[in-house]
Amino acid sequence: MSDPVTQNYCVYCGLPVPPALFRWTAGGDDRQYCCSGCRFAAAVSDAPSAEGAARQQLLRIGLAIFFTMNVVVFTMELWSRDIYADASFESQFAVHLRGLFQWASLLFSLPVLLLLGGPLAASVWAALRRLAVTTDLLILMGVVASYLYSIISVLRGAGQVYFEVGCVVLVFVSLGRWLEARGKQRTGAALDSLARLLPTTVRRAARSTDAPGSETPVAETLRQDAAVGDLVRVLPGERLPLDGRIAAGRATLDEQIITGESRPIVKSVGDAVYSGALNLDGDLWIRTTATADNDMVSRMLQLVRQARRAKGRYERLADRIAFWFVPAVCALALAAAWRHGVVSGVDQGILAGLAVVLIACPCALGLATPMAVWTALGRAAGQQVMFRSGEVLERLARVRVVCFDKTGTLTSGAPELLQRLAADAAESVVVLQRAAQLAGGSSHALSQAIVAYAANDAACRSADAGAVENIRTFAGRGVAGLWRSAPDARAVDVYLGSSRWMVELGLAMPERLTDQLAAAAASDAPLVCIGWSGGVRGAFLFREQLRAGAATAIEHCRELGLELFLLTGDHRRRAAAIARELGVESLAEQLPADKAAIVRQLGPVAMVGDGLNDAPALAAAEVGVALGCGADLSRDAAGLCLLSDNLERLPWAIGLARQTLRVVRQNLFWAFVYNVGGIVLAASGRLNPVWAAAAMGLSSVMVIGNSLRLSRYALAPSADADSPSRNENAQPTSDFAALPPPPVAGQEAGASQRPWAPQGASA
Amino acid sequence: MIELPLVFVAGLLGSAHCIGMCGPLAVTLGAGAGGLRRNLHRQVVYSAGRIFTYAFCGGAAGFAGVWIARQAPALVASQAWLAIAAGVVLVFMGLGAAGVLPRLASHALGRMPCSAAAGLKTFLTAPGWSNVFLAGVGTGFIPCGLVYAFLLKAGSTGSLWLGAATMALFGLGTVPLMVLAGVGGSLLSLRARAAAYRIAAWCVVVAGTMTVARGAWQLQPTDDGAAAACPFCVE
Repeated sequence: MSDPVTQNYCVYCGLPVPPALFRWTAGGDDRQYCCSGCRFAAAVSDAPSAEGAARQQLLRIGLAIFFTMNVVVFTMELWSRDIYADASFESQFAVHLRGLFQWASLLFSLPVLLLLGGPLAASVWAALRRLAVTTDLLILMGVVASYLYSIISVLRGAGQVYFEVGCVVLVFVSLGRWLEARGKQRTGAALDSLARLLPTTVRRAARSTDAPGSETPVAETLRQDAAVGDLVRVLPGERLPLDGRIAAGRATLDEQIITGESRPIVKSVGDAVYSGALNLDGDLWIRTTATADNDMVSRMLQLVRQARRAKGRYERLADRIAFWFVPAVCALALAAAWRHGVVSGVDQGILAGLAVVLIACPCALGLATPMAVWTALGRAAGQQVMFRSGEVLERLARVRVVCFDKTGTLTSGAPELLQRLAADAAESVVVLQRAAQLAGGSSHALSQAIVAYAANDAACRSADAGAVENIRTFAGRGVAGLWRSAPDARAVDVYLGSSRWMVELGLAMPERLTDQLAAAAASDAPLVCIGWSGGVRGAFLFREQLRAGAATAIEHCRELGLELFLLTGDHRRRAAAIARELGVESLAEQLPADKAAIVRQLGPVAMVGDGLNDAPALAAAEVGVALGCGADLSRDAAGLCLLSDNLERLPWAIGLARQTLRVVRQNLFWAFVYNVGGIVLAASGRLNPVWAAAAMGLSSVMVIGNSLRLSRYALAPSADADSPSRNENAQPTSDFAALPPPPVAGQEAGASQRPWAPQGASA
Repeated sequence: MIELPLVFVAGLLGSAHCIGMCGPLAVTLGAGAGGLRRNLHRQVVYSAGRIFTYAFCGGAAGFAGVWIARQAPALVASQAWLAIAAGVVLVFMGLGAAGVLPRLASHALGRMPCSAAAGLKTFLTAPGWSNVFLAGVGTGFIPCGLVYAFLLKAGSTGSLWLGAATMALFGLGTVPLMVLAGVGGSLLSLRARAAAYRIAAWCVVVAGTMTVARGAWQLQPTDDGAAAACPFCVE
């Protein structure tokens, strides 16, 4: 199935291909590029000896600049003769000298046409074969016309020459495209360096059934050739090439790139590990669980790529404008050329038409949004903040309210089991056993705490427990399962969840527990009950702690002028306690459906949550923010994933989004004002094409430069985070800045993998 | 014109200053050459590229001088004023370099745009004469206070060819030390360089003073002082 996205967008950078005036066919399987710069950049990346190709192109531009400088000197001399307009220039000698300078201009300008006109012509020809008329064609026509007119002037020995116009226009257009292509590459520099971190080969055991050990025979295999289930060896100091589970060995891993956690973590047999993590000290054998294009780093890159391809509101607006812009400009250029040609002569007509085409080239307009958004996406990804699309970024900037889930979001995801209560003291061990078995089927933080507690309880581990099966999760309530003492025994329904659920289920609360629970409720401790056979049999009390950084994050959110709410299914009292501590409003005892309804009522809301029970609210919010998704990048409900558990990244991301939107608006404003103002000047014949070409390059460079400022967006969010000087000086503490720098210039063009390039039709 | 040889000397001695910034470029250029003879060739071609750019800029400055004189006929003596301005800047730069005045803050000038540096490096390390020559052409555009001061002076000549000649001579003056730096590393000791640097600074001061004097002389209300007619026979 063909993807409509790739058909109208540059296969290199993903920008819209300049709209065609006439297009009768859909273009077959020809690869489309938005400009000759991208065509070139793609050629460089695909070429086997990329560096050589990059050098070739730079050499072309350099030589063209040299020849152009000569042409300009001769032209200046011709001009200064016009300025002097002295009697001495009427002499026979001066006339010959004038002819000589004109011939010299011709001689030096031809190489420029060959060097730079060639690539431009190739791009025009490719477009023409698709029956598309692009601004490149008009630029080329204008340049060739100015050359032809000047050559005729030289041959006739009368009239003006405009070689410098053709040369300078070609140089500026080529230089502008070259800088554009480099700017596009730089938007993904951070991700590029990430992709380059992974080793290209893996040490794979000859047979995946071999027992892992230092004697096991291994073979160096390309990373791409590794299959799921392969056994791979990773030595100390190496990065993990693929996702997997540790089959043998034990090591300290630095997973900062994936989780943002700067503290190394010890992992051993059975633990899940992810590509990109750095093995600090152990000899590891890993049973792979993903192929080379589906591992952690690849998924991160893919996510950013997808985010880039989804177009936001501003981008669609710019596309729409650009679609009508090009045909309108073509018509205007021809009209201006015709009018000035009739009034002031053919040469003035050519110049006016060329100036209109150059000044109106919608490069800046097309670049305005994607450059800013891509840079921001790259910057965010470098901080383990993954936006699902550029549009999410735009929506996040508009958010005025932030709702936080409590458990696992504002409070640390790992509460501690403080106390266990049993209705009948004799049942104490049974209560814990069944609760642990039920809890094992749930990823809820309280469940995890019960499991961890039970694992450390000797009495619980030694006793015979029977088995709980058919475990089901009830969002916002708890988990239920069927317990049997033996495989053929009668099954008993067991429930583990909130006390409110117990009441709903009609499980009676024994008196002994009621008293103790009343005391617990007064102390605001989180509580989970377990019950079966018509009665509540036990309860667990937990201690909850504020997540590290939560208070700072809330503080920063408030500085951004956001309204803050605590949305939780938890007890009113407990929520109130946390809310009081943080100084936010709380809405407690909300079921998932209630949360979603509240989120819809509050307007543009960012909902921050961690677990499954938030999914409806995350989906209903303007922007769903999932915290600590870690490996689970594919959470669909969240538009924004904070891979690290660091809540402080949220206000940072909001600040970044707002700054991005500001940059987009500046870019669009500048591009639009520049285009409209320039067109008026050019159409009235007051703009020399040389200045138009310079302005065209300059406007693109300004848009790119303005956008790339976002790549230095300061990490520490604060009230004055907008001040650029502060942003530029601040050093990121934990991002890809710590990674080895990308290779320079020529090498970079070839070695990079262009993570943003849209993939083929299969995507 | 008496200033032209002085410009050459200022370039020659002023290149002690060039070693600081452009010296590493010359060394980079020589690094991959292999063999002294070949390296020498590369250095000379490289310097030719630099001189080409200087001459081009000088020509453009000269033309700009003509253009200003033409555009602003009200300022009868615009060339004279340009000469005075250029002279004053040269004197200040010279005095600053000589340590008499506190140095002008020129750090901003020294910071090349990084993409330009990357492009230049590609040329510097590439084989082939055209690459070397283009590296020189690019180097000529590197922001440099000394070059700008002499460009002002080139503008004050009021002629495209004289402007180009001024800058070409300045460039020619920088060749010996730059080639030496590229071929044999730094032959001059730090002390010798400091001495040369001071002499160069005073040379710049003298050139500046003479330029000011010429401008002041042109300002005198004589009949044929200000309006130079032919670009080939100014003064």
